[in-house]
Amino acid sequence: MIVGMKDTVKLIGILVIAGCAVFVWTLFLNYNIDLAAMKDEITTQAGMAMYQAQVSTGKVVAAVSGGCLVLTSVVMLLFYIKNYIDTHSKELGILKALGYSGLKIAKHFWVFGLSVFVGCVLGYVSAFCYLPSFYELQNAEHLFPEIKVQFHLFLAFLLIGIPAIGFSVLAVLYAFLRLRHPVLDLLKEKREYRTKVPRRETKDKPFLKDLAGSTIRERKTLVFFVAFSAFCFSAMVQMSMSMKDLSSKTMAVMVITIGLVLAFTTLFLSLSSVVKGNTKTIAMMRVFGYKYSDCSRAVLGGYRLFSYIGFVIGTVYQYALLKIMVTIVFADVGSVPEYNFDFKMCAVTFVLFILTYEIVMYGYSQRIKRLSIKSVMLE
Amino acid sequence: MIAISDIVKSYGNAGNKNQVLKGISLQITDGDFVVILGASGSGKSTFLNVISGLERPDSGSVVYGTNDITKLSDEKLTQFRKDNIGFIFQQYYLLPNMTVEKNVRMGADLAGNREYREMINAVGLENKKGKYPSELSGGEQQRASVARALAKKPKVLFLDEPTGALDEQTGRQVLDYICRLHKEYGFTIVMVTHNQNIAEMANTVVKMNSGKISEVSANEKQKTAYEIGW
Ligand SMILES: Nc1ncnc2c1ncn2[C@@H]1O[C@H](COP(=O)(O)OP(=O)(O)O)[C@@H](O)[C@H]1O
Ligand SMILES: [Mg+2]
Repeated sequence: MIVGMKDTVKLIGILVIAGCAVFVWTLFLNYNIDLAAMKDEITTQAGMAMYQAQVSTGKVVAAVSGGCLVLTSVVMLLFYIKNYIDTHSKELGILKALGYSGLKIAKHFWVFGLSVFVGCVLGYVSAFCYLPSFYELQNAEHLFPEIKVQFHLFLAFLLIGIPAIGFSVLAVLYAFLRLRHPVLDLLKEKREYRTKVPRRETKDKPFLKDLAGSTIRERKTLVFFVAFSAFCFSAMVQMSMSMKDLSSKTMAVMVITIGLVLAFTTLFLSLSSVVKGNTKTIAMMRVFGYKYSDCSRAVLGGYRLFSYIGFVIGTVYQYALLKIMVTIVFADVGSVPEYNFDFKMCAVTFVLFILTYEIVMYGYSQRIKRLSIKSVMLE
Repeated sequence: MIAISDIVKSYGNAGNKNQVLKGISLQITDGDFVVILGASGSGKSTFLNVISGLERPDSGSVVYGTNDITKLSDEKLTQFRKDNIGFIFQQYYLLPNMTVEKNVRMGADLAGNREYREMINAVGLENKKGKYPSELSGGEQQRASVARALAKKPKVLFLDEPTGALDEQTGRQVLDYICRLHKEYGFTIVMVTHNQNIAEMANTVVKMNSGKISEVSANEKQKTAYEIGW
């Protein structure tokens, strides 16, 4: 077996994110379908306005958050596969050398789609359990007649079947593309930086600075994840605080939960793979007498800047999103309070963010401290 | 002077204990060229790791001058390695995402050595400075790791089967570079190998047999890397 079930266990990140996406989608799409089915029974003017507003909110939320999450799962999946091939390139090279075709090996990568399936099922089921309370919440002012939760088979298929199949196909295709490297390159663990990194660009930088730079250059996807993690934290926490006033407490709790789950999964995921990808380097540096703190600063420190950038983008994003929602979507619903940028909240979130980020970083530098020199050499 | 006494080291837990080093004592004089000979699995690498401060023994002491490194805290031990130790492994362990020059710089920066390019030239890699390890042959990679270890100006150079992955010709070449640099800089060499012929290059030959030293002998006359058999 080339790729086993145990490899998919590591895909917990994708599982969580796919689950979140399906959760959000199930809530809003199921609601929108059931609401649309009873459009004719809405008689009051206020009810109609509320109907319009809720349908539009549903669309915006589903498109923005769901789209974001799907994009992340795709990037994450590709990242996992690339990482898997990079770290197992020797074994895969041997298989190719023995005469297995690239496609024959790539076929096994379908199991990576399995985690998406599990995530989607979990997301769908948990959303379905929550739907009754969600419907009640949406209709708290009783502007519509009572809405019943209906099960829609095609929606279940759309949210579970399609992603599972799509991601499996994507995994196989991508693995196939990456496995087209010549056998020797796989065996020698040649990687792409060889051709991409300009040679004499950083002539007289001290080693530690250089290492920080090359750690980041070598794994650009991780830069995206770290920034994305900060983005989620910043956008979702601030949005949830504003939503408390604009919409409801439950919505706020939902948004903040999804945001934090996303932020932590992606951050843990990326930092773990930074540390794992650099164990040999760190062990060698330790042999030579580099201090723990030098190692962790060189390997982890470069990401801090990107997390701040992610935070700023997240702040702008949530402001723009809420402004659009309030001015366009809720335009004809009278009672929505005005929405302005909340500087105090932003500052509080930023402080919280820095604290969280540094604590997590500290945790990972402790992990570096526990790496044993010998375990690397025994391989 | 390195005074090693009564080193004991085991792996595994109480029920399934494997004593790898069974009370080893040895004295190594400064500037000496020591070869540790022994069959595979006799505990050579473990011994080397213990006396170089990469691993802690269960008991016994390793005293450099007056400094017992088995008693040092982790930070002090790191500092000790930084100031004193160079390491060369059978598998090179060059950093794959850095050029030869940067790999050598990893050692040089620790000693504040700005003339590290000389060391690259000294191992004959001046034309390969900008190459990545995957673009080098085994012999070239090992020479790069020699340059990396010596660029930090160690007082003691530890080598664990440095030619174990090389063919005869490149093996001799690497040993020859090491020998010449040893004469020039005068550091102490402790080299582990299972190749009996290499022992003829050393001043002192230590034979190890299942966790114990079975014989220590001095060579009157050392052969060069090109005079020994293989
Ligand atoms: N980290 C470890 N954990 C458990 N056993 C080990 C470890 N390192 C070495 N050993 C055992 O110690 C013995 C000696 O190993 P080693 O020092 O590598 O021998 P040599 O270098 O002479 O071949 C072997 O039996 C090996 O299995
Ligand atoms: Mg060994």
